Amino acid sequence: MRALIPFFQWCDDTPVALAIRNSRAAFPIIENFHLFALTVLLGSIVVLCLRQFGLILKTQTISEVAAALRPWNRWGLAVMLTSGILLFLSEAMKCYGNTSFRVKMLFLFAALLFQFTIYNRIVKNEGASAPIGGKIAAGVALCLWFGVGLAGRAIGFLG
Amino acid sequence: MSILSMCQWIQDTSIGTSIRESIWVFPIIETIHVLGLSISVGLLLVSDLRLMGVIMKRRPASEVYEQIKPWMFIGFAIMVITGIFLFWCQAVKAYNSIFFRAKVILLVVAAVNAIAFERGIYRKIDKWDNALVPPVEARVAGWASLILWAAIITCGRTMAYTF
Repeated sequence: MRALIPFFQWCDDTPVALAIRNSRAAFPIIENFHLFALTVLLGSIVVLCLRQFGLILKTQTISEVAAALRPWNRWGLAVMLTSGILLFLSEAMKCYGNTSFRVKMLFLFAALLFQFTIYNRIVKNEGASAPIGGKIAAGVALCLWFGVGLAGRAIGFLG
Repeated sequence: MSILSMCQWIQDTSIGTSIRESIWVFPIIETIHVLGLSISVGLLLVSDLRLMGVIMKRRPASEVYEQIKPWMFIGFAIMVITGIFLFWCQAVKAYNSIFFRAKVILLVVAAVNAIAFERGIYRKIDKWDNALVPPVEARVAGWASLILWAAIITCGRTMAYTF
C-alpha cells in the first residue's frame, strides 16, 4: 500500500483540499450533504429490499418499485460519491492511515460492483415475488451498503 | 428544579455515566442512530414523494402510505430510542446547544405537520386517492415534511460538531 502514498499526498495537496481545510464551514456543510445522500441512497435500497422480502408495496411488482426508485438511487449515489470525494480530499493523508477507511473502500467497491453487475439486473426482471436467489441478493446488497455506512461512521470513531 | 439541573441529574445517573465513559457503547448507539436514518427518513421520503405526486402515481396514495407507515414507525422507534440514550449521556451539552434546541422544535413541528395531514386532507382520501396530482394540502404536507427532516438532520449533525 506504500506505493499509494504519493497519490494520497497529491490528493491532500490539491487546491480543493486546501480550500476545504481552510474553511470552518465547508467540511460540515459537505458532510451534511453526505448524510442527506445516505438517507436517500440507503433509503431507496431499504425500500426495494423490503419489497423483495415481500414486506411492503406488495401491489406493485418488484421491477415497478425498482423503476420508481431508480432515479433517487442514482442521484443519492451521485451526491454521495461527490461529497465523499470532497471529504476524502480534505483529509486524504489521515484516511491513508485509517483502517476503517480502507475497510469502507473495500465495502464500497464490492457494493458498487454487486449492484451494477448483478443486483440491478435481478430486480429489473422480478415480478410479484422474488425467488430465493433474489431475496439472497437483497440481503447481500443490504449488508454491503450498510457495511459501507458502518465503516464510514467508524472512520471518525476508530482509526 | 431548573431544566439545566435536571439535565445535569440525567447525565449523572449511572446509565448516563456508563454510556459516556464506555469506549464502545456510545459509538454503537450513534452508528445505529445515523444508519437508522435510512429506515426512518428513507421510508418517509418515499411516502412524501407519493403525496407530492412525484413517484408511484399510478398506485393509490393511501395504499403506498399505509404499506410504508408501519416500517416508517419502526425506523422512528429506532431513532427515538437511540436518540434518548445519546441525550441521556450528554444532556447538559445538548441543553446548551442551540442546534439541539432547534432540532427539538423542528421535531415538534414535523409531528404537528404529520398529525395535521392525517386529521386534515387524509380524511378525504376517497376523493383524491387515485389523482395523478394530489390536492395542494397533501403536496404541501409532503414538501414540508421533507424540508423539516432535512433541517432536523442538519441540526443533529451540526450539534455534534459544536460539542
